[in-house]
Amino acid sequence: MIKFHPSEEHLFHYVTGDLSPAMLMMVGTHVDMCSQCQRHVQHIEEDLAQKVFGQRQLPAEFAAANDSFADDAMLARIMAQAPQPTSMVMDKSPTELVLEGKRFQLPATLARNHHRIGHWHKLIGQMWRAPVQISGEDVLTFIYMAENTRVPEHTHKGNEATLVVNGVFNDETSEYRDGDFVFLDGSVKHTPQTRDEDCLTLAALDAPMHFTSGLSRLLNPFSSLFFK
Amino acid sequence: MQTVTETKTKRNIMSSAQPDDPEHAAALLALVATEQSRQAFSELFRYFAPRLKAYATRQFGNEQTAMDLVQETMTNVWNKAHLFKPDRGSASTWIFTIARNIRFDFLRKNKHRQHDLSADELWPVLAEQNESLDDDYALDDDLLMQQLAVYCEALPKAQRTVIELIYVAGKSQQEVADALGIPLGTVKSRTRLALQKLRELIQSDD
Repeated sequence: MIKFHPSEEHLFHYVTGDLSPAMLMMVGTHVDMCSQCQRHVQHIEEDLAQKVFGQRQLPAEFAAANDSFADDAMLARIMAQAPQPTSMVMDKSPTELVLEGKRFQLPATLARNHHRIGHWHKLIGQMWRAPVQISGEDVLTFIYMAENTRVPEHTHKGNEATLVVNGVFNDETSEYRDGDFVFLDGSVKHTPQTRDEDCLTLAALDAPMHFTSGLSRLLNPFSSLFFK
Repeated sequence: MQTVTETKTKRNIMSSAQPDDPEHAAALLALVATEQSRQAFSELFRYFAPRLKAYATRQFGNEQTAMDLVQETMTNVWNKAHLFKPDRGSASTWIFTIARNIRFDFLRKNKHRQHDLSADELWPVLAEQNESLDDDYALDDDLLMQQLAVYCEALPKAQRTVIELIYVAGKSQQEVADALGIPLGTVKSRTRLALQKLRELIQSDD
């Protein structure tokens, strides 16, 4: 049972495509895993479609300025094309992520973007990280924590979103399992840790420029692990 | 089936239903998909194209870009109508998601940034999804597993245990070594020998 979901605003902007690339991947992956948010997304799509197409009469000023639209040139151009019933089939990309001999089944959004997943690097202790290469200011990265691993206490200058892909982790306030989506702003201090189970998470972090500079690396050694 | 749809559409046209009636719009899309009906597509176009243009003009504030979005969206409706699945949502929602995807790609098109996400990678609205094909894969996997299980019976017990732990239980070689209390090197050599033996068994059977 998923307890933590993206906000209404996140879901809305996921549907319109107006989030950062990293957050689109995060919210999309949560939606893959969460039937409740799938229904929610569908409602938002229906509402927006209704807004765009619902009015029976076009607004008068628009209809007037739009007489040229009736000349049907575009309609003829489109129908001049032979329909292509057999168009491209999506490549069957791998749907698994392998680390240390463990296999993780990837939700659809991540599976479609398998080619973006970089190599695993060992961080401190029993933690690994693999970057997901997408453009944009945010950093998107897989973080894997083996059993009984603790992340040193840290804060973030920006926002941090974490999604549990597989497993379970705890912090001071709660326990997070498969599909749980946690959004923390910069003020929150937390110490994620695993107990008897390991945990694969996907994390998106704001990366303001000063965050990666030499001085803040010294001040916050943990950040240098993520922002390579 | 087809004739039923056709009759219904004709009745709807006569009752002057508009494509803002979801059932009517779905029936028109079905006619475009099954027989490339120009009449059905024209009706969809006359309803959706001006509304798409109003939407796109608001989004881009540029008439030319707006017209490009209308053309690309409606071209997809013409070519990909067979991908519309009435049980998953209404025709207007489907057309909206196509337009959303095209807008998303338009906004990134001129930036030429490395590693840009494409709309298809986020929302596979127009991916050819053949569920029966997926089921076939699943069936093949099952058959393959059953056949492999038969071959595995022929392996020496020590090798079979290692193969089962790695390929069925999904353990790493190190975990298998720990679980069985044997050196990692032994796990590796048993795996290698077992895979070699399986290959020989499968080839001799063909």
